[in-house]
Amino acid sequence: MSETSFNDVHPREVANKSSKESLRKAIGMALRIESDALRLNTQTFNTNRYTAVGRLDDYQELKDRARQIKESSIQNLPGLIERLTRSIEARGGKVFLARTKAEATSYIRNVCRSFDARLVVKAKSITSEEIGLNPALQDAGIEVAETDLAEFILQVSKEQPSHIVAPAIHRSRERISKLFKEHFNTAKPLDTGEQLTEFARDILREKFLAADVGVTGANLVSADEGTILLVESEGNIRLTTQLPAVHIAIAGIEKIIPCKKDFGTFIELLAASGTGQPLSSYTNILEPPLDLPVLNLNGRKDARREFHLVLIDNGRMKMREDPDLREALYCVRCSACMNVCATFQAVGGHAFGGECYTGGIGGAWTVGTSGNLEEGRFAELCTGCSRCVPNCPVRIDIPRLNTVIKERLMKSEGAPSLEKRFFGNFSSMAKFASLAPALSNWINGLSPSRAVLEKFAGVDRRRSIPPFAKKTLARQYAVYRKKNMPPAALYPDARKLFLFADVFTNYQNAGIGMAAVRVFEKLGFPVALTRVMEDGRSAQSQGLLESARKSAVTLAVYLKKLIDGGADIIVAEPSVLSMFRLDYAKLLDANDVFSVLKAHTFDPLEWLNLSAERYPEFRQLLEQKVRKRATQPMIFYHAHCQLKTIGAGEAAPQFFRRLGLDVETSSVECCGMAGSFGYKKEFYDISRNIGSDLGRQIEKSVQSNAAVTVLASGTSCREQIHDELSRRVEHPIEFIDEML
Amino acid sequence: MSGIDLIGLFLANAAGTTAAVETVKRDPEALNEALLRNAGDGPIFFACDGDVDPRLFSRFRQNQRVVTRPSVDEMKTIGTGVTDAFCGIATTGSICVSIGRELTGPASSLTRKHIAVLDANAIVPRPRDVFSEEFLEGKALHRSFSFITGPSATADMGPLVRGVHGPGKLLIIVLV
Repeated sequence: MSETSFNDVHPREVANKSSKESLRKAIGMALRIESDALRLNTQTFNTNRYTAVGRLDDYQELKDRARQIKESSIQNLPGLIERLTRSIEARGGKVFLARTKAEATSYIRNVCRSFDARLVVKAKSITSEEIGLNPALQDAGIEVAETDLAEFILQVSKEQPSHIVAPAIHRSRERISKLFKEHFNTAKPLDTGEQLTEFARDILREKFLAADVGVTGANLVSADEGTILLVESEGNIRLTTQLPAVHIAIAGIEKIIPCKKDFGTFIELLAASGTGQPLSSYTNILEPPLDLPVLNLNGRKDARREFHLVLIDNGRMKMREDPDLREALYCVRCSACMNVCATFQAVGGHAFGGECYTGGIGGAWTVGTSGNLEEGRFAELCTGCSRCVPNCPVRIDIPRLNTVIKERLMKSEGAPSLEKRFFGNFSSMAKFASLAPALSNWINGLSPSRAVLEKFAGVDRRRSIPPFAKKTLARQYAVYRKKNMPPAALYPDARKLFLFADVFTNYQNAGIGMAAVRVFEKLGFPVALTRVMEDGRSAQSQGLLESARKSAVTLAVYLKKLIDGGADIIVAEPSVLSMFRLDYAKLLDANDVFSVLKAHTFDPLEWLNLSAERYPEFRQLLEQKVRKRATQPMIFYHAHCQLKTIGAGEAAPQFFRRLGLDVETSSVECCGMAGSFGYKKEFYDISRNIGSDLGRQIEKSVQSNAAVTVLASGTSCREQIHDELSRRVEHPIEFIDEML
Repeated sequence: MSGIDLIGLFLANAAGTTAAVETVKRDPEALNEALLRNAGDGPIFFACDGDVDPRLFSRFRQNQRVVTRPSVDEMKTIGTGVTDAFCGIATTGSICVSIGRELTGPASSLTRKHIAVLDANAIVPRPRDVFSEEFLEGKALHRSFSFITGPSATADMGPLVRGVHGPGKLLIIVLV
């Protein structure tokens, strides 16, 4: 498809991602038209979020509490629905439990008709998008005015939401100005945010004053008192609930929690995690029907207020019974997972999303509420970088949900594709290629080979597979050990060290593995090498969960034995370390084995930092080594996404600062290569778009200091930087090896 | 958070939300002067839920510009609303305003400028404290209300703009 034709793709046409073609077109459209605004807006939210959660001194405890409340609520959901119904009815409100979209829209339409409503004002509600409320009301001759400014924009542009909190986040101010000028044909100036806001406010104020019925969503609903939490910034929810005499609230059944006092746990978490505010401008705690007298600003003579709570099932009870998708029901729709996601920052929810649900969490929601697995195909855009995991206020393992969807899609399509098998079984391929690495590298570099790989395995021909080492790590280590006796242990109480010979380090990055061995031994820590074993990372990234599970179980038994024998395991490749410290929690049945692995596997620099804390003589040794150096280089360091997630992203900068070096770090969440993701033809453009962000940061750093040394801990990060800047990038441990 | 200067923290954080803040003596004359000085021209929509001692508003109520039961047309056009607030939140600079019989809801949402009067004794450390046993003294919190944190705002039109459907200006008068 040509570039021009992407300009003609309307987001609504490609909202449903059942087909691969639809996903492809949506990606092309988003990268071409929406990406700049998305990056600016999501990154602003993301930066503000870090600041806001940093101000919550009990952030982790709040998250634990929120998770606990949601888990227990979903567990006790049927009872909570009954209790909530009693609470609302006792106050004179009505509750309707809709099993389907059609039941929900039919009920709401009937309420509006019974009230002779001609105009409905509506606040932002993604659940109302899910049930298709607007077309249902409009078909019945009832006008619907979206009053949230983002939804107002979308109503004009006829687009679906691209973000769960800021639905028009994909539109720059300039694109909104153009849209309004064309649509409204007005002489009023519409060239600033203020002018656009005032213009929309004036239109919507007329709607508010004339409205017959107000429709809102609900952030949470408490069963004990039938209280509704509604968070907003603009004030449109306040007017929607106060001005018309009839208020209809639409809430998924997963929004119910037991007690109003538990709102206290969520309100700060929601604001901080979502828009990065201490609290949103208006956090409304409502017990409708309100005591407020009917205002009748619309000229009606309504005598009393009415309230209807429409609870939506529409697949949620089935999700509750699904051991994997159930996790999605804990979502509080804050959008942190979208703002922190490098893919989402590049393409937003019109590509990384479906008809209404977007981002990493959107896959499970789309599958669950549509009942159609194929609509969740956009889950393929989850790279598994895991940056959403520590930033989710209810601790949902979102990458896991997407891996499950990928696995189910694969099973539904029969056997795994050649592409999935190629990337998912990398160890066999690497083992085979390493029999004759020079030949493999030569073939890999040839254009015809790349064309074949692209055609049959989906590897984009503009990417090159990292070369295979002339000699594997296992062979190099054996030669090294014959020539070098292990050093005398300087620190008698230190645990034994094993370097894990993961597939990537053994076959491709043997030099990094050997650098690690030399560094540790120069510093007085003898290092042994483990057997070369598959860890499951490659298989998991392709949704081959069974294969990943088998590798994990075998490897965990082996590693645990070493650890039980008094060893710590050093892992040079961050994506593998992250398996041990994060993903094995779900791949292994035995929690005790996972806990042991989590506690005794380390990034090389993380382990050195811990040793520096533990042994004064080690600190002295480091100081001596550093003092010998005449010049101290400046470092630019990019931490691997998964390394950050497991809490080791700061290990390298910390160690370098310990050595007295100046370190600048990248602020991007992920380089965009993300293992196999950036190699795939279908995702190459997204990957490079994300990578350009990191590239710009490095270029800026190099411009201010040409002698800067660029370091990155992940294999795929180094490949991405190389492709961006044609610049050699080392692993931090190689740099330290050269320093010592 | 015991031992922390809740009033000082509240004033600083409220200013951080771009609300204007002012401390005034618990005195009808002083409050009247502050309200009139800040209310601008035209009628003033006044609604008090009784959370701040109503006697403190006695002088202000006498002013002819003050409207407590506005007509439909007045409600659509009045520029300034004055309400009481039943709680202030030190860490966020928020105020809690009721939505009940006394029209504090419309006075704080339909107008362009909202002036809220808060007793310094009603400031609690964090938002969650509004739902705590200690704050409620064993009573249930049976009312609809809003935590209001700064003026109405949006970033949907590109840059951050203050004043959308709710008041673009918020002044909090803290009675000390």
